[in-house]
Amino acid sequence: MVVTDVEREDPKLRLADRVPAASPPNLAPGWTPLAGDALLDRLRVTGRPRPLADPERVARLRETIEAGLGDGSVGCVGGDGRPRVPGSPKPLVITKDRLTRALDRESRLGADLSGAQPPTLPMAGGALIDALFRQLVTTGSIGDPMRDAMDALVLDDRQGDLVAWIDNLSVTERGALTAEVDRQSIDLVNRWPSLDPSWLPRTQVPMRVGLAGGSIELSGRVDLAIGRPGLAVASVAIVEVKSGARRLEHRMDLHFYALLETLRSPAPPFAVATYYTRTGELDVEPVSDDLLASAARRTLAGIGAVCRPTGETVVSGPASRRPGKRNRIAADDSDRKGLVGNTVGRGQ
Amino acid sequence: MTQAQELTAEILAPPVAPAGPSDRQAIRQRLLDEVPALVEDLAVGDQMVVTLPLLRQADRDPESLAAPEEPFAWKPVFVRRSLGLAAIDACLQHRFSTPGEAVGPIADQAVVEWSRTGWRTFHWEPWMVGLSAAARSAALAEAATWATALWSSIDWRPFGRSIRLGGPDDQWVCPAARTVRLKGRCEARVALVTAGGDGISDQTQSTTLVSVASGIPASGWEAELGFLALVASLRSPTRPVPARVVGVWPDAGEHRSVDVTAATLAAAGDRVIACITAVMEARLTTVS
Repeated sequence: MVVTDVEREDPKLRLADRVPAASPPNLAPGWTPLAGDALLDRLRVTGRPRPLADPERVARLRETIEAGLGDGSVGCVGGDGRPRVPGSPKPLVITKDRLTRALDRESRLGADLSGAQPPTLPMAGGALIDALFRQLVTTGSIGDPMRDAMDALVLDDRQGDLVAWIDNLSVTERGALTAEVDRQSIDLVNRWPSLDPSWLPRTQVPMRVGLAGGSIELSGRVDLAIGRPGLAVASVAIVEVKSGARRLEHRMDLHFYALLETLRSPAPPFAVATYYTRTGELDVEPVSDDLLASAARRTLAGIGAVCRPTGETVVSGPASRRPGKRNRIAADDSDRKGLVGNTVGRGQ
Repeated sequence: MTQAQELTAEILAPPVAPAGPSDRQAIRQRLLDEVPALVEDLAVGDQMVVTLPLLRQADRDPESLAAPEEPFAWKPVFVRRSLGLAAIDACLQHRFSTPGEAVGPIADQAVVEWSRTGWRTFHWEPWMVGLSAAARSAALAEAATWATALWSSIDWRPFGRSIRLGGPDDQWVCPAARTVRLKGRCEARVALVTAGGDGISDQTQSTTLVSVASGIPASGWEAELGFLALVASLRSPTRPVPARVVGVWPDAGEHRSVDVTAATLAAAGDRVIACITAVMEARLTTVS
């Protein structure tokens, strides 16, 4: 069940490779976006009982993936019976983008499974809005949106190429991008509620799950998580922010994140949601066992698609736009040797 | 019992057959015997610093050791640990209720203090003061997320005053013409307190070290945690060898621990020697 604050969803909506139009299409007449407490209530109250922590659920989900890997149907199984890219000792890192591309090789995202995507205006808009959303959650305010977002992106190693690309935009393109970022950030400030600190709001949360003896690594980074993790009852909600239009794969992305959170925590998240800054739409989906089982099967299928020989180069290790190898390795424990970060190229 | 309570119980569990002074002496002697020969091709005056990140890099990505060192520049990921630990400490002292609330005021206070006295509590103060409000918020957000993950992973109530967050790195220098310095950095030290001989007083016998890492625990994690115990025990011949090292991987929701025995120290010593060997090979390859 998807609880939406509009009555329709058009999965066929696709963003062209341009800045989204200022006027959102296909919204019901008279519909107004949720804001403040109403938005928060939509996120918190799903109408379903919150799932309980259940080790058997976690075991079942792992079994779904690992047994599927073990039966050899996904291909590229090493001599130890574990999936492995030939010649590479590194784990195969599976991100939401890699899954989607692998499962939809004909999609406009292309067939490059390495995750290296050339920057586009929607990608730039998404990264800028993500940075502004993080700033808003952290400090409660946004100054000059474009300047603020660029100031934040410059500090993020993962965004180096994108920052350079934005810097090289023509005056016209940059003006259009700035206008759209300004518009969306104003709406964001007006609508997004302040979050009680006791809910432990945290942004850009990394999630990792090792499978099949560490030969597979599921990896994600969610824009916002709220609620205390590790309790006996599901208490965490996950929110992804999108600056573009609705797309079907956004729900699949959220299901993947729900799966990751379930596998790494005693309880699953009670809800996953996408907030569309372009329109103010909020899609909230309660997390159920069916959703998680489906996500596990899709993940298994995606790993198989990544592994199956197609003539493309399948790389193990992170699907990174900028590998930053030395920093990545040196990440763990040091202020001065820090994690460059997760590998998911952020999109619209 | 919640996941956080389980982790706390593991941190506080009584020592199991801890390593003693003779074990420490044995591994110290082995390093003194073997390390100088490994680094004799280093340029005179050159030195090598072995840290846990380097240990991991040498094991998992040895080719990268030959890559040129990137010049250091502050960024949010380098700030998150020190600011995050200070935020958690402030919460433990009831100055704030969550790390997310604490990071901003603590950063502000540090910058003000540095501006007033020139004293750097965290080292990043001059960098932070030069940031725009947006860039500063990115640094605060990174620290808040890191600290909140750790804050949620542990039940902090049972520790009382027995826990110390952060603090200076443990260091041990292998004396030789070419210096090799081992540096161990853990996020917390917890004194393991047991009843004294009179049955009334408390007696601190040893410590548990707590190490926080990103990602997921990879093969070899036991020796890597053991490395922290090795450096801590070499640092001072009079302090007890740590009884246990607990590793926390908040990204993966996992924790692991090693009870520090003679075998743990020996395995960590093996990794140090392997790391130095790999680094030397990389350096010599680069030079040639």
